[in-house]
Amino acid sequence: MVKTEMGRLQEHPILEFKRGKEVTIYFNGKPIKAFEGETVAAALYAAGVRVFSRSFKWHRPRGFFCAIGKCSACMMEVDGIPNVRTCKVYVRDGMQVKTQSGMPEAENDVLSILDDVMDTVFPHGSHYLKFTTSKNARRFIVNQLRKFTGFGYPPKAVYQGKAGYEEIETEVLVIGGGPGGMSAAINAAKYGAKVLILDENPFLGGQLVKQTHRFFGSAKERAGTRGIKIAEILEGELRSFKNVDVRLETRAFGIYNGEVGAHQKGEVDKLLRIKAKKIIVATGAYERTLVFENNDLPGVYGAGGVQTLMNVYGIKPGNRGLIVGSGNVGLILTYQLMQAGVEVAAIVEALPTIGGYFVHAAKVSRLGVPIYTRHTILKALGKKCVEGAIIAKLDERWNPIPGTEKKFDCDFICVAVGLSPAHELLYQAGCEMKFIPELGGLVPLRTKYNETTVPGLYTAGDVDGIEEATAAIMEGRICGIHAAISLGYGGKEAEKELEEAVKELDEFRAGPFGQKVVVGIKKCLVEGVKV
Amino acid sequence: MSELKVAVIGGGIAGLSAAYFLAKSGAEVEVFEQRYLLYGASGRNSGGLTVQFNDEELIKLALRSLDLYDELQSEVKFNFLLRKDGYLKIANKNDEAKLESEASLLKKFGVKIEILNQNEVKELVPDINTKAFDLAYYFSKGGTVFPWPVIWGLARGCKALGVKVYDYTPATVVVENGSVKGVQTLDGLHKADFVINAAGAWSNEVSKSAGVELDNKIFKENICVTESLRPYLDPYIFDVSNNAYLSQSMRGEIVGGVVGREIDQIDKKGELDPLIRYAKFATNLIPKLKGLSVLRQWVGVYDLGKNGKPVIGFTKVKGFVQLNGFGRHGMSLGLAAGEKVAEMVLKK
Ligand SMILES: Cc1cc2nc3c(=O)[nH]c(=O)nc-3n(C[C@H](O)[C@H](O)[C@H](O)COP(=O)(O)OP(=O)(O)OC[C@H]3O[C@@H](n4cnc5c(N)ncnc54)[C@H](O)[C@@H]3O)c2cc1C
Ligand SMILES: Cc1cc2nc3c(=O)[nH]c(=O)nc-3n(C[C@H](O)[C@H](O)[C@H](O)COP(=O)(O)OP(=O)(O)OC[C@H]3O[C@@H](n4cnc5c(N)ncnc54)[C@H](O)[C@@H]3O)c2cc1C
Ligand code: FES
Repeated sequence: MVKTEMGRLQEHPILEFKRGKEVTIYFNGKPIKAFEGETVAAALYAAGVRVFSRSFKWHRPRGFFCAIGKCSACMMEVDGIPNVRTCKVYVRDGMQVKTQSGMPEAENDVLSILDDVMDTVFPHGSHYLKFTTSKNARRFIVNQLRKFTGFGYPPKAVYQGKAGYEEIETEVLVIGGGPGGMSAAINAAKYGAKVLILDENPFLGGQLVKQTHRFFGSAKERAGTRGIKIAEILEGELRSFKNVDVRLETRAFGIYNGEVGAHQKGEVDKLLRIKAKKIIVATGAYERTLVFENNDLPGVYGAGGVQTLMNVYGIKPGNRGLIVGSGNVGLILTYQLMQAGVEVAAIVEALPTIGGYFVHAAKVSRLGVPIYTRHTILKALGKKCVEGAIIAKLDERWNPIPGTEKKFDCDFICVAVGLSPAHELLYQAGCEMKFIPELGGLVPLRTKYNETTVPGLYTAGDVDGIEEATAAIMEGRICGIHAAISLGYGGKEAEKELEEAVKELDEFRAGPFGQKVVVGIKKCLVEGVKV
Repeated sequence: MSELKVAVIGGGIAGLSAAYFLAKSGAEVEVFEQRYLLYGASGRNSGGLTVQFNDEELIKLALRSLDLYDELQSEVKFNFLLRKDGYLKIANKNDEAKLESEASLLKKFGVKIEILNQNEVKELVPDINTKAFDLAYYFSKGGTVFPWPVIWGLARGCKALGVKVYDYTPATVVVENGSVKGVQTLDGLHKADFVINAAGAWSNEVSKSAGVELDNKIFKENICVTESLRPYLDPYIFDVSNNAYLSQSMRGEIVGGVVGREIDQIDKKGELDPLIRYAKFATNLIPKLKGLSVLRQWVGVYDLGKNGKPVIGFTKVKGFVQLNGFGRHGMSLGLAAGEKVAEMVLKK
């Protein structure tokens, strides 16, 4: 159906993969073919590499997981520099890539024996309690323990990147270039505010770039358009403003008393010190995972990791997958996989009913994928990577029912059980936070204009509660306009639009799927200062 | 003896050490910690241990502390992950007199400080940039300790001796007719014959509640760790002229920062300037650290006695004892200071 070559999709019904020049990289000394524009991790994956590193203590295998530089499982030594997240660096001809944890290498690690014996010899925390009475024994143990610490080998060469420094003053700083952030930037800029928008990725669009399906959501906010297309439309609009400065591959690392520290990659590695009158945090969300045996085995992914691999790099995640979670993401991913010629063994759902929209579920059923509701995954099978999975039925109290286990053969498992807000910057900035299950986790208290308890600091999108792109765009609009107004821009017209925008978002959330969110937001809404 | 009741305010190294030695001699001890163990400077420091001080009293405490580190680990049966891999003070020429006088003072105590030339330093730390300093004074028996197990181990030792350690329990001192009556917490009065003020950066406030003026200076220090590397750097390095330091933790991270600055009011928010200054210092000293990422940054607060020395001893209020003001050296001094205060109280 879909042709693949060297682990890469060649034809795709929706996506077109433009591959760069062919290059050769060296993995633990062995040459591997890759294409310019691919990340090192993606190229290795396409070449069939599954074990990327070993865990710190027990030397368990670690594989490609998040694909977005958040989990550290893909760290390797690249051209002598240790601890490089290979999912974040692009291949270059002649590049030397080495696994760094494991003896002699991650794939065949003799220390993996520790995984089998460590727990009996050294139960958790016992290194503080054993061999403590004699000074010499202690010294010996400390020296031995020390030998096992650390991931990468100390750099062999001095890093040659050029370091730079830039101080920037702006009126509005937007952190995160997903739909929420872009919308915020557009709406602040259109009333005249000077805007700087950062994203740590080399592209704008956030989660949208992985979404090849037609969008759900309200007509006004572009339902029916594919996610990647929406990203393009927003970016086009954003780039049309002269008062917007876009910095890609730029990660904000801290909000220090109104001043933001960021790191911009490029020819020159720059430290940015940004003084902004208003800050809008739109950093999106992280994928959640589930607790089950062997959930750390290479081949267990989040939905985002699989989407990135497949839809951004055009690389086949495997031949046969098991999907855990039947929300929209799980359902959509299922047919995206099938589009790419990957078999889906089954979808497993703990709830008694399918979580996602009926249209998506119907489409998946038509394709013949069984959905097991009231089931959960018990364990992943395999030693170095996923070779199968065991699922079981749940009773009313969510306990697996013995005897109902089913085994599936599959070479990857995709956990699509939702997201948690990426709230770190808000927390660090001193926003008052609250744990709200309906919104997916720890979120900031905010006004109806999405201003947090730190004056001048706003949020938009998944970071203040897991919803959808439509809501993210609407929230971005609200806080973008509010920021502009409080800077003295926009006048009556802006005020009118602001109230309209608030009303529209309320109406959007009034639908049946917004109920949970409405309950959640009530719990964290605070009165703000009137502008 | 068993009727002696002592309340210790502060669950840092100083307070827990005092509590441990008092309990060992049979006193009934309660420790009050306003938040959790490790909340204070004792849970946020870089664990450098040395005896290189310019003051006899401090040297005595530091030497005794090094011995106590060995003894206590055996006694409380807990591994503090102490590495005596040396403490290296580097400096430029301007600070020669300072280092010289430390070294000669230490000679009186029979402690040898090795003055290393650039090549010898390079042997110790192969990747060091020898242009970054002029002088190197090395104390081979110093080192680093992981502060958390020190606190956990002390608390464990205390509890085994029957000490009650209350967390999330802020305490103030209750004084009646010029002598302490005990401490006040939200759940009421805890009677005590002696109250020890080991509240670190909060000691001035605690002292005030006893009606005793204490004018310790408060410092705020930013510190950070990088991602973790294989064992690489053995000694703790302190740059006297740049007021900055780094070492490698037992987890392999490079831990370091620049020495704190005085503040009026306690706050623990991270700051960008010290981070930048530290990054410059670290990559100049060991250029191969360039390109490493900082994983975490945090702030600790500590107090320093107004004449630059710890405040240890009795006050005008009977039974109210100071055990604070350790500045940047509480890990090096705290154990022995706690022992000393315990002895003073027991003698009274
Ligand atoms: C498979 C899938 C299908 C979906 N389908 C739909 C759908 O059909 N309809 C719908 O409405 N919604 C859908 N969604 C949800 C929608 O994509 C998200 O709700 C939306 O993208 C959230 O937007 P955001 O701007 O809040 O965050 P994101 O899109 O996650 O963007 C956040 C951005 O911030 C950047 N960032 C994070 N931290 C930093 C930092 N410190 N410095 C700089 N940059 C940073 C990230 O790189 C990222 O680009 C789907 C999601 C998934 C995963
Ligand atoms: C970044 C940094 C690096 C450092 N590096 C080193 C080093 O390398 N070597 C070294 O020797 N020293 C170092 N220090 C200094 C060392 O950490 C301190 O000197 C030492 O920890 C002080 O211990 P303490 O017990 O006096 O105070 P703390 O550890 O601060 O303990 C005091 C405790 O009292 C509690 N408290 C306060 N008020 C009350 C109240 N009213 N009721 C109840 N409890 C209260 C606090 O919550 C706190 O936990 C460093 C400090 C910092 C911040
Ligand atoms: S950090 Fe690269 S796969 Fe997660």
